[in-house]
This record gives sequence, structure tokens and C-alpha cells, in this order.
Amino acid sequence: MAFLFRSKSKSDIVKPAKDLLTRLWQPPVSPRTEEELARLLAQMKLILQGTQETESSPEQVSQLVNLIIQEDFLFSLARSIYLLPFESRKDTQSIFSYVLRHKTPNNPNGDQPALKHVLQSRPEVVLALCRGYQHKESAMPCGVVLREALKHEPVAAIIMYDQSQEDERISRLDEIDFDARQSERGVFWNFFQWIDRGAFEVSTDAFTTFREILTKHKQLVAQFLNINFDMFFEKYNRVLIQSNSYVTKRQSIKLLGEILLDRANYSVMTEYVDRGEHLKLCMNLLKDDRKMVQYEGFHVFKVFVANPHKSAAVQKILVNNRERLLNFLPKFLEDRTDDDQFTDEKSYLIRQIETLPAVSR
Amino acid sequence: MEGSAASQYRLLEELGSGSFGVVYKGIEIATGEIVAIKHIDLESTEDDILDIQQEISVLSTCDSPWVTQYKTSFLKGHKLWIVMEYLGGGSGLDLLQSGPLHESHIAIICRELLLGLDYLHREGKIHRDVKAANVLLAETGKVKLADFGVAAQLTNIKSQRNTFVGTPFWMAPEVIEQSGYDFKADIWSLGITAIEFANAEPPNASTHPMKVLFLIPKAPAPRLEGENFSRDFKDFVAACLVKDPDRRPTAKELLQYRFIRYAGRSECLQELVQRRQTFDHNNERNAHPRLYEETLNTISNLKDTDNWVFDTIKAPTMVTQKHTQQLSGHKTTKRRRTSSKNATSEETPEDLLSRLTLEDKQQKSILSTPMTIRKVTTQRRVSRTASSSATKRKASGQKLPLEPSMNFGNSVSAVRQFRRVSDHSLRMLPNLSMIERDENQPPETASKEALLGRRAYNKVIDPAFQEVFAQTGSQIQREALSKIAHAWSGLDQDDPEGEYHLLRAIISKIQHDSKLACLYHISQPSSPQKPKLILAQNNPHLKSHRRRQSSVVPSADDIWAEKQMSLPGQHTPGMEHTKQLTDVLFSKWVDGLRNRWPALG
Repeated sequence: MAFLFRSKSKSDIVKPAKDLLTRLWQPPVSPRTEEELARLLAQMKLILQGTQETESSPEQVSQLVNLIIQEDFLFSLARSIYLLPFESRKDTQSIFSYVLRHKTPNNPNGDQPALKHVLQSRPEVVLALCRGYQHKESAMPCGVVLREALKHEPVAAIIMYDQSQEDERISRLDEIDFDARQSERGVFWNFFQWIDRGAFEVSTDAFTTFREILTKHKQLVAQFLNINFDMFFEKYNRVLIQSNSYVTKRQSIKLLGEILLDRANYSVMTEYVDRGEHLKLCMNLLKDDRKMVQYEGFHVFKVFVANPHKSAAVQKILVNNRERLLNFLPKFLEDRTDDDQFTDEKSYLIRQIETLPAVSR
Repeated sequence: MEGSAASQYRLLEELGSGSFGVVYKGIEIATGEIVAIKHIDLESTEDDILDIQQEISVLSTCDSPWVTQYKTSFLKGHKLWIVMEYLGGGSGLDLLQSGPLHESHIAIICRELLLGLDYLHREGKIHRDVKAANVLLAETGKVKLADFGVAAQLTNIKSQRNTFVGTPFWMAPEVIEQSGYDFKADIWSLGITAIEFANAEPPNASTHPMKVLFLIPKAPAPRLEGENFSRDFKDFVAACLVKDPDRRPTAKELLQYRFIRYAGRSECLQELVQRRQTFDHNNERNAHPRLYEETLNTISNLKDTDNWVFDTIKAPTMVTQKHTQQLSGHKTTKRRRTSSKNATSEETPEDLLSRLTLEDKQQKSILSTPMTIRKVTTQRRVSRTASSSATKRKASGQKLPLEPSMNFGNSVSAVRQFRRVSDHSLRMLPNLSMIERDENQPPETASKEALLGRRAYNKVIDPAFQEVFAQTGSQIQREALSKIAHAWSGLDQDDPEGEYHLLRAIISKIQHDSKLACLYHISQPSSPQKPKLILAQNNPHLKSHRRRQSSVVPSADDIWAEKQMSLPGQHTPGMEHTKQLTDVLFSKWVDGLRNRWPALG
């Protein structure tokens, strides 16, 4: 009896919740709408995750996930997170995690129906989650969901290759041309703004996701960076490396080092260290007045110096600054005495620079 | 954007410090609300900012009366400010400094902590560092869990953790064994905390913390022993300290224990807070709080003489540089703040070109310029007797009988590589303030007067000029004002000491004029020995006064003033007609004070 009652109420849950979500977009929103919506979302979460004392029932979960897919509920939910009350935003985060992770029971292939649905026919959900960074309220819940979803390569592809305007239909996975140069319209390029301009919580969370996109799926990223090299690094150098925010600056220098030193990005690295202006930027980091910025800058600088095939432009800058560098480097971060790797690398660089010809002017 | 957030708060005295940074008491100017602000110096943390992000994300998703309320966080330079609700009653560890607690009080605290833990566990969070030092009390007696530095958020309510974190004496056996643990680990720590409250120390307090790590999994679970404790209390502790986590009750179940059910109302804890305050008072603590000191950025001006030589200037870099210039453009009024951070990128190509011709001269400057100058916040004690008296918590810590072991247990909150130190234990870094101060003193401003002068300029004069300037409409008036501002900045640069004396003279003249004295409100009448100059000038009342005089709509400061009604000399918005009367009463009160505390004049 109880079982019957529950299963009936469950099918009633998704559609009304979806209707209430639409109402959130038409102010004024009555407190009753919010309350009712909060109640329904809490109930969904409970069905999906159970409680500490009771396990969730697999049939109920499957049924709910199917309804959520049928009703296209995830998209409505994703775009409305910032409008939801505090507790509902957390519930939403859990709902997303559970639904996307959900596997069809008794299926050895481990098919994840909700995730598959989103990737194949509703990639807009992914973009809506990214746009959660437009609001402080939704940044963190969206970030958590996105990072979990980013374990799947297609999610990264959707984000990087999106070219749509907000609320436009976006290319499906099978329509993406991975060799086409991107315009700055896509959602990926908004990350630069979110990181640079957002409130601290938004900025750091967006950066964590940004890093996940750029480091998780190596082949995809290498191809993307090769094709969009100029636009990407112009933005990266200008907006992130030279950001006024200490955290953004420091984290992005570090990420740059990681990207360049990743074997998969070899051709990206060689192209990066060929450019004189990149070296200049990097040498200026060594002179920043904050030690950790200097330190992270060093790990990019070393790539330029260690590169056996230096371009004429890079060679010229190094030669012109040979004496300065030889004066500067021995004293550079000399209190880092317990960091052997750093000390070794530093003395290696000094030896490399010593072998450069003295200024021939 | 950054920096503007920080200006919404005014910092008062220091509440505690550790290796991660310092916690200050502060006021949100717009609302007048008292808050606690944690400053984390990110330059001194090697590891990723991710750890701190984690702490913030756990805190910001908590909304419970039993958990300290997170408000916001933002960057100011390389410092991260985390703004939290302020709890004036001190930590559980503070309460213990005046002796062990009575069982009836412990029952209340445990109940409140269980309610907090129940909330956290339902949210899929594990605190992982429950101990007296991380329990905060409000002056009303409300109890809250604090310090989420090592807390974990589980994505799945049933998942387990392996990370080895916590503080040795309070750690559950399964955490030490790293065999996978869940929220039950907090229950164990709660049991240890209950013993800590009853005995003023956790079990094994005299053992070395590393040895304790071997002891806890092997030895039988600690028990509460002694004639003076009731059976209910002993049962409760025994239930928390069941070694097998599966057989250990949940927070919810523990709420049903007799010991908890018969606990009194949390208001009863006010006694404890008062006991501690009296205790502190008798020990003359808190008499000389350390005040917040703004970073002295002036020193960084020394820098940008020294730079690399880049002879070819390509178009892309030019674009880049222009852009950053625009970005930093609106900050020009705060000349000190923009300083060298952007110095390298702010150079125009022309500058770079001109460098070329000056190459010889530059090479010299490379040699003579110190390589890096870090910005450090100075913490200076303001009172005259300061150098001999330590801050209150530090002092009390030194008087504790079991000082060495307690010390270790509480300061190494972290086992986050043993590097973090819990918020509220100050026992480490005894001479921190002195060291930092030395680092910060630029050679030409060695005297205390000069530093105060500088501070007064940075914190009071310059902002005041800017504020009044912004409110001044007419071109002529603006020009006149900017002339003084300019002249004063000259004075500040050349003779901060003279600046101090000038200010001092002005203030004392104002004070002695009975009609002008109403300009001069004192915000903390209980501690009249604080530096008159700075507090007075800093006083938001003065600002709101000025604002009213320049007939601008009263704003945020007034709301603050409203909240301070308990102090004399206040006027409620809408009650301006009584202003004259309050002014008279106020100046009488000031006169009275002056008689009692001649040092004030």
C-alpha cells in the first residue's frame, strides 16, 4: 500500500516541478512557488540518495530518472539554479550528480541513460551549467556538477567547441568540426571573464573547472590548442597571466607551465616558446614583487631557456639580457634552500645562459 | 574590484592568529554588524589554493544555527579575507582557561554540538576536527562549530574517506588506521571533547602526540572517571567512544541519551562566558588589544627602476600594455595601492625605448636595488606598555599548567601536513609581531611617530580627502581641496613624523574646544588608553558628521551609528532635533572621562 502511494506521488513530482521552474522566470515570484518547488526538489533528492538510515530503491530511482529525461527537466533545472532558494541549490546539485551518474540496472555495459541523453540530444544542459558562473549563487553547485561530468570527454568537447549564442540551438556532438578554427562566441571563451571578473568564489571555482577542461582529455585539448593557438594564448596571457587578482595570476601561470610541459602538448609548447613576446611576459613575472608569482613564472621561463631550438627572437632577448640574468638568477628566490629541484633547475639555467654569446653590438 | 570589498569593513582588534594568518574582529560599515575576519596570506602557502577553496565551499553551503555563519570572502592583494559571523564568548578552549567546566554546562554544549553535527552529517559533511578549540560561543550562550579547515564534503552520502586529518588527541581510531571512515569519526572526537571539558585536557594529554597516534587504535577506549561525574555523563562519553564505528551511535541517536535530554537551556552558558571574562579581567588581559594595521605599501615604490631590456617592441605587447593601463587607470587616486604590482606591465613602449639609451645607469640600479620587497601586514601593539605584555590568549596559554602537550595538540590542528594551526590558539610564533614589524620598516621611517603618521595618512587623511572631494561639486572648491591634498601627500612623503605631530596637535586642540569636542567621539570608552589620535580620526561618526555637513544623504554609517545606541553621544536618524541635547550630554561625558583619565587629554 505504502509502495503504491509512493510510486504514484513520484510520477507527479517532475512535471509540477518543471512548471514551477518556468514560473521562477516570470516575476514576481510568490513565496509559495519557491516553497513548493523546494519541497519537490528535496523529495527528488531523497528518492535518489536515500537517507543515512535507508537505502534508495533502484526501481524508484530508475523511474524518476526516466521521467526526468522525458520531461527534459535537467535543462529547465540547470538554467534556473541561481533563482532557487539556498537549500534547493544544494538539492539540485545532488539531483544532477545522481541522475547523471545513474546506470541502467542490470546492464553490464554500464549505460548511463541521463548522461547519454544530455550528450546526444541535449548538450544545452552542459552550457546552461557553464553559464551558472554568471551568478554567484549558482557558481559552486554548477561547478561541482560540471567537474564530475567533465570526466567524460564529450562534455569537454561540447564546451570547447560551442559556437552558439545564449539560448540558441547548439551543434550536436556529431556535427562538431574538430578542425575548424573557433570564434570567440562560444561558451568556453566566457571562462576568461568569469575567472577574471567574478567574485572570489566564482572566480576560483570557474578556474578549477577551466583547468579540468584543459588538462583532462589530452588529445582533444592538444588539437584544440593547435588550431586556436593565437586566440587562446592572446587571451590567456592578457586576461589571466596579467590579471589584477593575485590568485588568478598565480594559478594561471602554474597552469600554463603544466600545459606547456605536458607531452601531449608538445607542438603547442614549441610554438609558445618561439615567440619573443611570450618570453618578455615571462621575464617580467620573474620580477613581480610577490614570491609565489616569481616562482610560478620560473617554471615557465625555464622552458624557454632549456629549449634547444630557440627562435631568433627568443635568442636575441636572452643574449641582450645575458649579463642581467647572470646577475639576477643566482640571487633569485635564494631562500628556497630546501627545494632541491628548484636549485638544480636554476643552476642548469645559469649554465645555459652562460653558454650564450655575450652582446655582439 | 578587489580592495573595494575590503573597504566595506573596518577592522578592530586581533582575535587570534596562527601560521595560516590572523583573525580580526571587524565591523561591516554598511550594517554595523560585528564580524570575524580571517586573513590568510596566500603568499605564504605553497600548496594550492584548492585547500582553502574547499574550506570555503563547505562553509558557504552550511546554513545552521549550530555552525558559524560564513558571509563572504574576497582578495585584497595577496591576502584572502574570509568574513564570518562574530562570536564574542570565545572558544571552548578559552573557557577552559578558567578551569574545567561543570557537568551541567558540558551537557548543554554537547547537545548543541550534536545538533550541529547532525546537521553536517545530514548534509554529507564531516568536520574532522571537533575539539574544544573549535567550539565557539556567542555572548548569548549559543554554541557553534567552527573551523572547517579540514572538513570534507562527500558527494555520496554513503561514501567513505581515507585522508588522515584531524588533531591527534581527538582522532578516532579508524581515522588513524586509514581503513576508511565516515561521519562517525566526528562522534568519537565529540566524546574526547566532552572529556576535555570535564578535565580541562583530552585523554593522554601528557603523551607525545605522535605516540598518541599509536596508542589510540591499540589501547582500550578512554573512559570518563571520577566520583564527581554522574552516571549519565559517563554513559554518554562511553557511547561516543565505542571503538567500532559501526556500533557507535549517530548524532541523532545520541540526542536521545539521558545526559543530553536533561540538559538545560543554552542561555545558562552565559555564566561561563562571564566567568571567563572576569577571569581575563582579573588577569589584566585584553587591556592592550592589538589593532589592525594596514599594509604599508609605500616601500614598494622603490622598485620599478630595474627592468629587463627588450629592444624590439612588437604590436601585440603594445596592445597588451595599453589594456592593463586602462584597467588600472581608475585606481590612480589610491596611488600607493596600485604601485609596483602593475609596474612592469604599465610601462609604455616609449619608456622601454628610453631605457635603451640609459642602459649604463640602469645596470647600476640593478645592483643597488633589493631584489624583492614583500608586502607584509604589520601588527603593532599600540599601547605604551605593549612590548612587555603579550596578547591575552598567548598570556593565558603560558600560564596553563599542562602547557607543552596542550599546546601541541591544539596548535597543530591540521595534520594537513602539520602545517596549519587552528584559529584560536596563539601559542606559536611568540614574537611574530616584532619580526614582521622589522621587516616592514622602511629605513627612513623608523620612528613610531612616523609609522603612525603614515598610517594616519593612508587610513584617514587620504581617504577623507577623497571622500570629501567626491562630494564637492564646484570646480573652485575642488581645486582648492586638491591643492591641500597634494600638499599633504608631500608632507606625508617627506616628513611622516611631522605629520603625526601636526595631527596630534589638531586633535588635542579640537578636544579642548568645548564646541568642537562634539566632533570627537570615542568609540570604546572602556579602554581609554588606546591611541587617541587614530581611533578618533577613524571613527565613522566623524565621517557621517562630515557627510551630514556637506548635506549629502545620510548613508550606511548612520545605520552603524544606530546600532551603537548604547554609547552616549548618539542620535537616532529621525531624531535629529535632539542632537543639540545629546551633544551637550556627550561633551559633559567626555569631560568626566577626561577627569578620570587624565592621560586622555
